[in-house]
Amino acid sequence: MEWSIHIAGAEDLADEPTLERCAGLEPAAPLQPAVRLAADLAAERLGAVRFTRCAFGNEFCEHLLPQPAAFEAAICAARASGLRFTFLTPYVGNEGIRRLRGLLQLLDRMEGGEVVFSDWGVLRVLRGEFPRLVPVQGRLLNKSLRDPRVMGIYAETQPDNGTGAATLAALQRSNLDNASYTDWLLRLGVAGVEIDNLPQGIDLGFASRGLSVGAYLPFGFISTSRVCMAAGLHYRKPDKFQPGAPCRQECQTHLVEYSYTNSPFHNRDQKFYLKGNTYFFAHTEAMTRSLLDQAAGGRIDRLVFQPRLPMMAS
Amino acid sequence: MKILAPIRSHEELEMLAASGAEELYCGIVPQEWSDRYTGAMWLNRRSPRGGSVETLGELRRLVEDAHTRNLPVFITLNAPYYTAEQMPLVLELAGRLSEEAGVDALIVTDINLLRRLREASLAADLHVSSVAATLNSEAVRFLLDFGPRRVILPRSLTIAEIETIVGDVGRQVEIEVFMLNDGCAFEEGFCATTHHHSVGAFCTSLSEMQAEFVWHGPVYTARRRNWLRRNLADYREWVWYVNGNGCGSTARGLPYGPCGLCAISDFLRIGVTSLKIVGREASPFKKLASVRMVREIRDRARAGAPKLAVIERARALRQEPVHCDSGYMCYYKVT
Repeated sequence: MEWSIHIAGAEDLADEPTLERCAGLEPAAPLQPAVRLAADLAAERLGAVRFTRCAFGNEFCEHLLPQPAAFEAAICAARASGLRFTFLTPYVGNEGIRRLRGLLQLLDRMEGGEVVFSDWGVLRVLRGEFPRLVPVQGRLLNKSLRDPRVMGIYAETQPDNGTGAATLAALQRSNLDNASYTDWLLRLGVAGVEIDNLPQGIDLGFASRGLSVGAYLPFGFISTSRVCMAAGLHYRKPDKFQPGAPCRQECQTHLVEYSYTNSPFHNRDQKFYLKGNTYFFAHTEAMTRSLLDQAAGGRIDRLVFQPRLPMMAS
Repeated sequence: MKILAPIRSHEELEMLAASGAEELYCGIVPQEWSDRYTGAMWLNRRSPRGGSVETLGELRRLVEDAHTRNLPVFITLNAPYYTAEQMPLVLELAGRLSEEAGVDALIVTDINLLRRLREASLAADLHVSSVAATLNSEAVRFLLDFGPRRVILPRSLTIAEIETIVGDVGRQVEIEVFMLNDGCAFEEGFCATTHHHSVGAFCTSLSEMQAEFVWHGPVYTARRRNWLRRNLADYREWVWYVNGNGCGSTARGLPYGPCGLCAISDFLRIGVTSLKIVGREASPFKKLASVRMVREIRDRARAGAPKLAVIERARALRQEPVHCDSGYMCYYKVT
């Protein structure tokens, strides 16, 4: 199994990216325990972690597409560190497609590598214009529900027979469950799929069909939007919250921590985190242990360690 | 440019047809699905009892009578995904909807289902749901391989973005856009939450939660803290609008909520095919009032009324200028 580290930029690779050092990169105190816990559990379950790949970019916001110079620096830093390179790309409008083309040309010219797509339009561009780059289906295109308010509760409380069992089994899967779908992805040249760990548990029965499987820890996404709260900071009130509106990357200065104190269930200690246009949750200890068990059992080919919420500008 | 209205029973047909609906869409949940899955797993993004025609027999009657009025009927099979166990049931249902009930199109989100239906070569056309999050021209071109007649664009696209997409691919596929009644704070196709009644929508649930800012920029001054707090309050107000103004209505009972009426002149000029009114589960009165509003504005624009006059009339129809002036009730920013 391969370990990948999600970097914010070349500076993250100035020193050797050890798990210990990377686990201290998150600046927001409320997130640090989740990052630390994931690092400790990973080392405990899977032994020494050695990163052989890095991921750069983000899957959620086209306004955070990297500047070409920062992109080039990250590719060079990965090469200098002996790490393979994965470029994470978000869902995009036509303007995002235009900007991505430039970055993909750069990647193609410099190094080649892997591109995680979150948008069918990006896959079309990859296949038609950059056949050397290796497409990987991103976790946004895996449509399993992962609502942390209720999915874990659902898994705990459903009877293990009849409709409850059938429903839970369906919630633990996605369209990747269909061999016709994974076969089609392979025919398109898609090399792998990425997934989020699910509060209700995840069924990786599709893992043996030829697609590599990558999973993220310790954060999962809940929801994302072309309307960004943070971007509203610099607009007059009536002009705020317009889809796709230009921003000043205000999200880089703060995050919002929500406390689920109004839960109808026992999970009133849950927290959700808004960074820019996307909401995230941190894996619980049980979720992390379950994911690591799946990795140890050979069902997961790659774990991507994200020491920060994956919304970094560069 | 057609007006597409939601319908959930045969009883609503005459009213909707008489008020100006030119296309209809609905859902249906077969008993086999309800027997197999609980309410946490929806076939068509609505609870089985919430917004669906009840039986295949009623649907067949609805389609026959709609066709006598020259109204096509589309049906939603738009869950974000179907598992391997579910796929045979969904394919069989699609076949019956097309070949037995005679529906005109199947509205699909899951790209795997879209592929399978393309292979099945049913009589019904395929429409790609807005939940497929088709946000750019390249994505539409990718989907053209599956032969859809129509792509429904997400409501998060701007008029300028829609114009570019229609310019790029509008000759190859019909384009439908949102017009009234239902907002979504998130990108619908990338929202991994549930609206299950036990927890409600995530976006509105957030407005009731305690929120703390964690600052890691320059010095965190009281001014910055207030700036963030004000913005959060504005955002929560925007979510209230997105949620149909708190699910409210005017004193005369007209529906509130997200609206694209002021953009109709632009959509007519751009060449959009259809204007979608949301709300399969809504009351008949809300559907009726919605269709009438869209029809009046569309007809004015079509008759050549100047854009500003059309906008003025649209605002008058909404009856509450304060909400229009907020800027938060609009799907599209019109310039």
